[in-house]
Amino acid sequence: MAEITVVAELTAAVWKIEAAPGTRVAEGDTLVILESMKMEIPVMAPADGMVLAVLVAEGDQIEEGQAVATLVA
Amino acid sequence: MTWQPELEELRIREEFARRMGGEDKVKRQHDAGRLTVRERVEKLADPGSFHEVGAIAGKASYDAQGRLVELTPSNCVWGRATVDGRRVVLVGDDFTVRGGSADATIREKPLMAERMANEFRMPIIRIIEGSGGGGSVKTIETTGRANLPGGVGGTGLFNYTTLNLSAVPVVGLGLGSVAGLGAARLAASHYSVMTKKSAMFVAGPPVVSRLGAPVTKEELGGWETQCKAGGVDHAVETEEEAFDCARRFLSYMPSSVHDVSPVIPCEDDPERRDEKLMNAVPRDRRRVYQMRPIIESVVDRGSFFEMGKLFGRSLITGLARLDGRAVALMASDPFFYGGSWTSDTCQKAVRFIDLAETFHLPVVYLMDCPGFMVGLEAERSATIRHGVRAMAAMNQATVPWCTIIVRNAFGVAGAAHQPAGRLSLRYAWLSARWGSLPLEGGIEAAYRAEIDAAEDKAAKLAEIEERLNQLRSPFRTAETFWVEEIIDPRATRPLLCDFARMADPLRQPVPSRLQMRP
Repeated sequence: MAEITVVAELTAAVWKIEAAPGTRVAEGDTLVILESMKMEIPVMAPADGMVLAVLVAEGDQIEEGQAVATLVA
Repeated sequence: MTWQPELEELRIREEFARRMGGEDKVKRQHDAGRLTVRERVEKLADPGSFHEVGAIAGKASYDAQGRLVELTPSNCVWGRATVDGRRVVLVGDDFTVRGGSADATIREKPLMAERMANEFRMPIIRIIEGSGGGGSVKTIETTGRANLPGGVGGTGLFNYTTLNLSAVPVVGLGLGSVAGLGAARLAASHYSVMTKKSAMFVAGPPVVSRLGAPVTKEELGGWETQCKAGGVDHAVETEEEAFDCARRFLSYMPSSVHDVSPVIPCEDDPERRDEKLMNAVPRDRRRVYQMRPIIESVVDRGSFFEMGKLFGRSLITGLARLDGRAVALMASDPFFYGGSWTSDTCQKAVRFIDLAETFHLPVVYLMDCPGFMVGLEAERSATIRHGVRAMAAMNQATVPWCTIIVRNAFGVAGAAHQPAGRLSLRYAWLSARWGSLPLEGGIEAAYRAEIDAAEDKAAKLAEIEERLNQLRSPFRTAETFWVEEIIDPRATRPLLCDFARMADPLRQPVPSRLQMRP
């Protein structure tokens, strides 16, 4: 059981939270959708696991490198 | 009477050179998980091909009778070798001798390596570890003076570091801690690789910590810092992987600007049409898609070699083959700012296009660019000036050029997809869309009076958008020959392979007028 911190790879606005804490996810599933330059950019699970926490809220402005969610894999 | 005694002395001196900094220092190098410079050379060169120059140069001590007691070799090891059958210059720092510092370098050794690459038109691979510059502050005592960098007649290495960028492929491998002149020699390359255990910086933590908050070696110059900043192109786990990267990079390159890169037999059908390309781009224009599988599907199978993946990430750059011919490939990555060009992206484009121009590589651009990045951060990083610089690089390039418009082409950056002053090939996919401005936001600006006058402003906005959307079908543009060809995306590979063949007579081994900069 390893805890994984998922970070945003770009500066953007948080548009939608797709996976609530406790959700089981597979690698590649969308956790959060960001919005940048009018495009929806998914932040995906880097591994199979369970969402531990979502660290951002819809509407937040977030920075590149900022933690978005944590998973237990 | 033969020259046997002298031959024996030569062998003894060579043996000292092979011992490098001595058993303890070699053990320390191995314990830290790093190879010695001689092991590196051996692994990089084709077996038995390394011909060393100046092995026995160093500092010797003699007994009262003037007989050699010991020889500490210089910490620069260089010579020529073949790598995958091609002659190259290898020059490496020996960290076991004075930590790779210039204290123990004989200045003329790395300089002659650079000269040989330049004058005999051979690629050069620099194996860099340590500082290799003016030396540690200890040299003030050993030379009895402070070092004016470059001084009088001491600029030769800087001269060749610049000259070689416009002459021969230059690969930099950062294997350990690299600082000062070492960092400069690593960064002043066409392609640089570091191991994830290595670090590169202008000055290391001891110096930096004196100026403020303490930092670790990794924070300051580790691979994540340097690759994201564009200081180093690529990071790998092991030194062996770094050597593979160097070999692979060179396989796409000519030996010098006086040559063109080799054409190899192509085992992948140039006429291959990938069905998946029909649904590679989502119909929903707000949704992004993965560009790398598209690249993989249109180039010769397995031939894509990405460079600078973590820097300026809205643009993917790398070398690839089309019907066996090496090309420089650029492609947008909509996962980063929808493919918009940031200041970093523009800098990445400039360096990459200049690389293509220098080594006569045709350029292929798979475009999906909604514009230059907008916003306060974009303005603060002078995106537009870096943007027009990227356009200038395109316009100054003389190599054959082919653009596939995969989706977006908007704004000034939308125009930055082909050389402005000469004919290039261009194909638009069925999913292509373009405009001076994206409709979103653009409508509010252009139709303000009409929207303000309406009772239901949102409905008016939607009505105008619908009206404009019908008109902006790419077929209407093609109708007026404002774009020359719209294609079935599955035809992309056959068309790109045809472009690569069409480029053959244009690939001339004549040095470009461009003088490349790092």
